[in-house]
Amino acid sequence: MTTSPRGLWYRLGPIWSLVSLLAIVYVVTLINSFLGESVQVQLQYALVNLIIVVALQIFIGTSGVLSFGHVAFVAVGAWTVGLLTIDPELKRNLLPDLFPFLFDLNAPWLVAVVIGGVVGGLLALVVSPVLMRLNGLQAGIATFALLGVVNQVLTYWSSVGPRSGQSMVGIPDVLNLQTTMLFAMAAIVAAWLFQRTRPSRLLRAAREDGIAAASSGINVVSQRIIVFAVSGIVAGVAGGLFALTNRVVQSSQLNIELTFVTLAMLVLGGMLSLSGAVIGTLVFSLVDVLLVRMQNGLEIGAYVVSVPQGARAIILGLILVGMLLFRPSGITGGREFVWPFRSDRPLPGMPPTNES
Amino acid sequence: MSIDDNASIDDDASIVDDARSGSGQRGRGLRVEGLEVAYGGVPAVRGIDLEVKAGEAVGLIGPNGAGKSSTLLGIMGAVARSGRVLVKGEDLAGFPPEKVVRRGVALVPEGRHVFAELSVADNLRLGAVARRDRTGYSEAMEHVLTLFPMLRDFGHRQAGLLSGGQQQQLAIGRALMSDPDILLLDEPSLGLSPTAVDTVFEALDVIRAAGKAVLVVEQRAEFTIAFCDRTFVLHDGEITLTLSPEDAEKVDVLTKAYFG
Amino acid sequence: MTGQLIQSLVDALSAGATLGLAALSIGLVFGVIRLANFAQAEIITASAYCLIFTWQLGWFIAVPLSMLVAVAMSLLMEFAVFSRMRSANPATLLIASFGLSFLLQRVYELMFSNNVRTAPVASGLAQTVEFAGVRIQLLSVATITIAGLLLLGLHLFLSRTSMGLQLKAAAADFRTARLVGIPAGRVIALSFALSGILAAAVAFVLTVQSGAVGPTFGVQITILALVGAVIGGIDKISGSLAGGFLVGFVTSLLATWLPQEMSNFKDAYVFVLVIGVLLFRPSGLLIKGRGVART
Repeated sequence: MTTSPRGLWYRLGPIWSLVSLLAIVYVVTLINSFLGESVQVQLQYALVNLIIVVALQIFIGTSGVLSFGHVAFVAVGAWTVGLLTIDPELKRNLLPDLFPFLFDLNAPWLVAVVIGGVVGGLLALVVSPVLMRLNGLQAGIATFALLGVVNQVLTYWSSVGPRSGQSMVGIPDVLNLQTTMLFAMAAIVAAWLFQRTRPSRLLRAAREDGIAAASSGINVVSQRIIVFAVSGIVAGVAGGLFALTNRVVQSSQLNIELTFVTLAMLVLGGMLSLSGAVIGTLVFSLVDVLLVRMQNGLEIGAYVVSVPQGARAIILGLILVGMLLFRPSGITGGREFVWPFRSDRPLPGMPPTNES
Repeated sequence: MSIDDNASIDDDASIVDDARSGSGQRGRGLRVEGLEVAYGGVPAVRGIDLEVKAGEAVGLIGPNGAGKSSTLLGIMGAVARSGRVLVKGEDLAGFPPEKVVRRGVALVPEGRHVFAELSVADNLRLGAVARRDRTGYSEAMEHVLTLFPMLRDFGHRQAGLLSGGQQQQLAIGRALMSDPDILLLDEPSLGLSPTAVDTVFEALDVIRAAGKAVLVVEQRAEFTIAFCDRTFVLHDGEITLTLSPEDAEKVDVLTKAYFG
Repeated sequence: MTGQLIQSLVDALSAGATLGLAALSIGLVFGVIRLANFAQAEIITASAYCLIFTWQLGWFIAVPLSMLVAVAMSLLMEFAVFSRMRSANPATLLIASFGLSFLLQRVYELMFSNNVRTAPVASGLAQTVEFAGVRIQLLSVATITIAGLLLLGLHLFLSRTSMGLQLKAAAADFRTARLVGIPAGRVIALSFALSGILAAAVAFVLTVQSGAVGPTFGVQITILALVGAVIGGIDKISGSLAGGFLVGFVTSLLATWLPQEMSNFKDAYVFVLVIGVLLFRPSGLLIKGRGVART
């Protein structure tokens, strides 16, 4: 790519894809912040989901291996931030069974979020030597089993959290929409930069042509471990932000449903590109916002558009199934944005400029 | 590996003439016109014309990746294809494999692919799924068991426990159970001992003599050229040469030219 | 003590049988078209709703009707969704079935509300009988009997009939089966129909057990069944059955014998076991060799 004889825009193509994604996130946030309190709250959740989906994309999009387990990293991230930010006095009363050293452990929220990312990454790193050897359906089931284990441990192990099935409350109200947006942008930049590193490129090469990669000596497992850990960090950060957004952490919220919703967003946008992760999340969330409003009767001029209560989830489900049926590669078709005014576009059917 | 393109075009044309001038409408044979197969936009077979008449064996040889197997799979409808596949004057283009089998074409796949966990008898039964008549079924069974007496002795044995040669006999027997007019074989000698290969080709000789059209893909050039009434050399998805049994002696030259 | 042991073994056998049937219903379809159908959960749920709503009409109406509903749902999924995704890889198919599952759950919510619906389905089976000092749930015995009869029937069908043989061949090697002349559409439909019947049996057992059905009724068992099928070897019909049975059996025993504070984590132990099995036998306990399942 660096030796490409084509024009400047060709080389700047990937940067253009990054800039346009950041711009989209910014504009969407800006517009929505005028639409009232409830939309702002929904958007903040959407931005947190965006980071989870970016984490998923880093791993699934790069390795081509399905993961149902990333919400486990989100959950430990959320747990970490919960434990580190709840007031110590409150902690003693609400979570009496905690390991004693956890009572006085406290950190500013930003530090807590970073630690949440580290914990998520560490969990990913610890389990990856086992999980990363598997492919296809087996990998899906094994990552799902990981989620099952982590969820049960968090649900019932009162030494690190609330008593069985209860929730952790008292997380401070410190995160606003703008900050969340900056985190989302940071996640996108991080993912974009990571795409350009050696492990990511090797793994994408292996995904596209397993035999050729194997014969050229790429150790797929070790590259996957790196990528898995990186995506675990991002997911852990997202978990921390989820805790600060939701201000209540409960293991039942960090389970299959969230796994499904975030995977649906990724599939909708297109698994194989970062643009897919961003567009999928935003489109899914915007449709969701719209549907919530329609359930309450949305006024457009003289008309009131409304859908029955409960129809929202059905419509979202239909969109997803329809997308898988008619355009399985997602809205973006697995491509990144390219500079739209270039004359030397790649040939149809050829990989897009940024080697995704 | 290089090939003279001009020469190949000339040869191609002569084959087309050959096929057209033959008694193409004789009915029970197979005629393929302009067959093309591609995988994800990459062509594997680029416009093949060939004819196999009843009672005739035709060979297809060529290096790995020349499109031999793809040609057979294309005829069967097991891969996306274009062009005409004519059997009894009917164009089978667009038919799925199960319908192609019902029009009297059967394939013995590469690597035999017997149903390893099923018994020999069940494998043969499955070969007859495409037929409806009961009487024809017992006749075909009798015919197969006469051709391969070994299968009679091992009727209840799991197919996966047979030797390679025995599995090949079973695979051919299974294909014959649908009583095809046209039998396609993909590398029937692959991985077999010399005696097992002899058994297989002796059976093919009987099948040919019984008036069936036989199209066999092989790696062993000399052997195939000698056995078949005509042999086409396939290269890069195109037929580049037609050989008759007498050419078998010249196979050394051919080997150099085509197999590098 | 021995009484308790026997009792827990019977319960574990029954749990294993239920999960084995559920895993088999997934494995049957997977063998043919490489689809691990997560939406099997909603087939079970639909069949269970049917039992609840029609039980008052008599079991001789409710039971056949619930089977009919399950088979119809199963076939409908195949024709409306999966038949249009033949070229998709197993991962995409799994996600599609995930989406379908989510969609149908919401439809059930809309139709029957989030609350559970109840009816005393075969409440006679919920009794406990005491036999030589051993207390045994009638339902456990019934479950084991139902599963045994179904498996016997399925075995006879697969080995004695032409259609069964074709299905077996297609499950073993779909491509060759087609080349031999086995009609693809017909065997696929057959596998979905049989899978529906098994789902109905699972729904019956679970409904009798709980007497209450909600929109996510079938999810829990389907997840465990999917896990069981994969560790047993989803590539083989017998592998799915054995894996499902194993997971059900072990989970049930853990639930009975682990001390209270540890039994909360019983699913976690099972999942750790699952990861271990996948690591050492990636294509399943019953499949020889270390090769990864063809996908």
